Amino acid sequence: MTFIDSDEALWQRVRQNKGMDFDVFAVNTAELQRYIQASLVSPINTALIPNTVRQLPRFRQLNHIPGLVQQGKVFGMPYTYAEMGLIYDRQQVTTPPTSLTALWDPKYRGKVLVYNSSSHNFTLAAQSLGFDTPFHLSGTQWSAAVNQLIALRRNALDFYTEPEESVELFRQKHAALMLANYGSQQLQLLRKAGADVGYAIPKEGALAWLDSWAITRNTKKAALAHAWINYLLEPAPSQALEMRQGLANTVTESAHLQPQDRIIWLQPVESSERRQQLWERIYSGDRASKVLGP
Amino acid sequence: MRWGLASRLGSVLALVSLLMAGMTGLYAFQVARDLLVQASKDELMTATQVIGRRILDVRLDASRDLQVLTSYPASLALLQAPSAQHAAQAEQLATLFELIMAANPGYFQIRLISASDFGLERVRVDRDGKQLLRIEGDDLQEKSHYTYVSDTLKLPAGSTYKSRTFINHEHGAHAGLGQPTVLLASPVVNTQGEALGLIVINVDLKGAFSRLAADLPAEFQLYLTNREGDFLIHPDSSKTFGFDSGRRVLMQDEFPATKDLVAGHVDQVLLEADTGQHAKEPVVAAFTANKFKVINSEDTGFLGLAQPRSSVLQRSHALGLTILQIASGLGLVGFALALLLARWVTHPLNTMSIAVGRFSMAHPILDLPLTRQDEIGQLARSFDEMQQQIQQQFTELQANRQELEHLARHDVLTGLPNRRLFMERLDNALARAKRSQTPLAVIFIDMDHFKAINDQWGHDAGDAALQWVAQQLLNHTRKTDTVARLGGDEFVVLLDNQVDAEQLAMIAQKLLDSMREPWMFDGQPCKIELSMGISLYPQNGETADALLNSADNAMYRVKSASRNNYAFAPKT
Repeated sequence: MTFIDSDEALWQRVRQNKGMDFDVFAVNTAELQRYIQASLVSPINTALIPNTVRQLPRFRQLNHIPGLVQQGKVFGMPYTYAEMGLIYDRQQVTTPPTSLTALWDPKYRGKVLVYNSSSHNFTLAAQSLGFDTPFHLSGTQWSAAVNQLIALRRNALDFYTEPEESVELFRQKHAALMLANYGSQQLQLLRKAGADVGYAIPKEGALAWLDSWAITRNTKKAALAHAWINYLLEPAPSQALEMRQGLANTVTESAHLQPQDRIIWLQPVESSERRQQLWERIYSGDRASKVLGP
Repeated sequence: MRWGLASRLGSVLALVSLLMAGMTGLYAFQVARDLLVQASKDELMTATQVIGRRILDVRLDASRDLQVLTSYPASLALLQAPSAQHAAQAEQLATLFELIMAANPGYFQIRLISASDFGLERVRVDRDGKQLLRIEGDDLQEKSHYTYVSDTLKLPAGSTYKSRTFINHEHGAHAGLGQPTVLLASPVVNTQGEALGLIVINVDLKGAFSRLAADLPAEFQLYLTNREGDFLIHPDSSKTFGFDSGRRVLMQDEFPATKDLVAGHVDQVLLEADTGQHAKEPVVAAFTANKFKVINSEDTGFLGLAQPRSSVLQRSHALGLTILQIASGLGLVGFALALLLARWVTHPLNTMSIAVGRFSMAHPILDLPLTRQDEIGQLARSFDEMQQQIQQQFTELQANRQELEHLARHDVLTGLPNRRLFMERLDNALARAKRSQTPLAVIFIDMDHFKAINDQWGHDAGDAALQWVAQQLLNHTRKTDTVARLGGDEFVVLLDNQVDAEQLAMIAQKLLDSMREPWMFDGQPCKIELSMGISLYPQNGETADALLNSADNAMYRVKSASRNNYAFAPKT
């Protein structure tokens, strides 16, 4: 069992030895695409996973979830998900935020915590700017998104990577608002730490990552990998996900969501390389001319 | 050499000396090796502590540099309202940054960052390989979203912020990019106490440690971890900053003995690692906790130094070899001494035993070690005393024997040869006479009226008379003649040359005449006369008995005839 804390780390570890180091791994649906393209994963035989009948209807219609099925073959089996809502300090933010634009509010300058991720942050910027296809930027949308992210950076207290780190920063630096990349998991951690926080789903829709199990192409224990996935869809492991990690599972409904809340499953972006290159520059503090430069 | 006392004593002593040398060597080796290993461990711990202290010194140095820079007038001027002199002041400050960085190869970067303009860098010098780069214009970045900026701006003037150790991912950081870095920063404060910006020094963690560890032996391995035990410095660089790529590579996994250190139960740990990745080359290692004050909390790092155990033991191997040589040398010397000692002890014993073995009256023991003051000297003196006693007794015995022999062949009263000796001489003389066809004569003498002397004057007178007669007979015969007393008042004279009858008659007459010399006993003159019978060889017999009988018979004839006369035995 190996733990990783970012999409990039997972990509590097799995790719490092052509997937030979692992049999099965959990990856979000958006990320799954590059593993499929790089032929690092093999199709999943759903017949070997009878527990899929326990799952909620929206997780059983695999075709409706972008990225899981390619050419009729299933490459990912959903097992947990989290929507990226807004966590706010009830002391400083009296009116619950309704829009992502709250992150850019000068009122909260130096009090905003954002996840350090190239792909999500560009999508976030695109959503806040009202772009129709936040996962696919084109033309002048790039410079607009870059400027929007520079503005977000100027408003930010810090960028975090791990849930525990976000909780520590939120409390120690008295943040007012946080984009919760880990959603309810962070909410649970903060409340456990005694913070008076609220949770809101923005009207633009909360991005949600859906973690699916994928089986490496070069595994020598495919049967065992299928058995592992099947086991984790049983009620006990699903409950443990909620109790221990504060993560939603695919078997029971989440308590943090309202029926009207808009969830947007993460999708593969047009170019994670480009987003990453630009984000590194933005994160390092470059100004627009430099970020968009050669 | 016989399996004698010498060899037995020698071998026992030699064995004891070898055993002693061996045991002493072994014990000395064990003690010395333990001491050496302990000393090496202590050295290791000291070295670790010294490096830990020098790290603090590096921090203090950086703090001092920060104080100089934050109080430098151009720093504040550049952060205040724009002025025409900005370019010149920026130039001044950049030059100062360059000077400091040239003097401190452990600095990656020095920057002046403003609190305004979203933390825009105002003056920045980067290290790039061996060069120092002045970063200007569009290349200057905004840093307000980094906590080292926001945290430092909250500090009072003159205080220093220290970041945790991290891998620097700040794009465009040149030499520092992707390197383990520690940031030290101080606010630049105006007269109103308002922080207008800050000065940040990026310290090259790896470089700083390598330089500190440069004077350690090459075999020493340096480790540094953060407070959770994640390796920041490790001889295998792939094990460092695992957390930066989603892995945990922990000190307490590689060195389980450091768990207590991470838990905060102890401040330092000395350990020997010989399992897992250290199974091939076991190491001795020292780890210490190094505490750094950080804003709002105390940051702890763990510093470790490891040394291959083999190199520690190598020193003890050399020592062991030396001890072995010394012990062998001593053992051999002891062996030789034991043999010499055994020889020294047993040689005089052997000499004495040989001398005593050869002892006889003709070969007295001469070379005894009488002057020695030890047990051997005592033994020798006892031997000598015994020898002297034996010699003395032997001499006495010899004298007694000679006396007995004399007594056996002589007459006690007169001192003349007795019958036994006389018969021997007569036999010898006869044998000689038979060989040489020469004559010999025997005169048998008997005192006349000897009984009357005894009766008249007592036995003392008889004895004195016998003695006088014997003396007279001796006086009037030749030295070559034998005068003997056969017993009672009977004497006999053997004449084994010059024995023609005429001469014999003269001799006999002379003897008779000698009796006429006056002899007194108890003041009274006393008359003594002799009767003598003479026999000749070969005329009167060829054997001693025959000659004696003939002479005796002749004497009796005189006795019965006239007395005081002599007669020749008749020819047969």
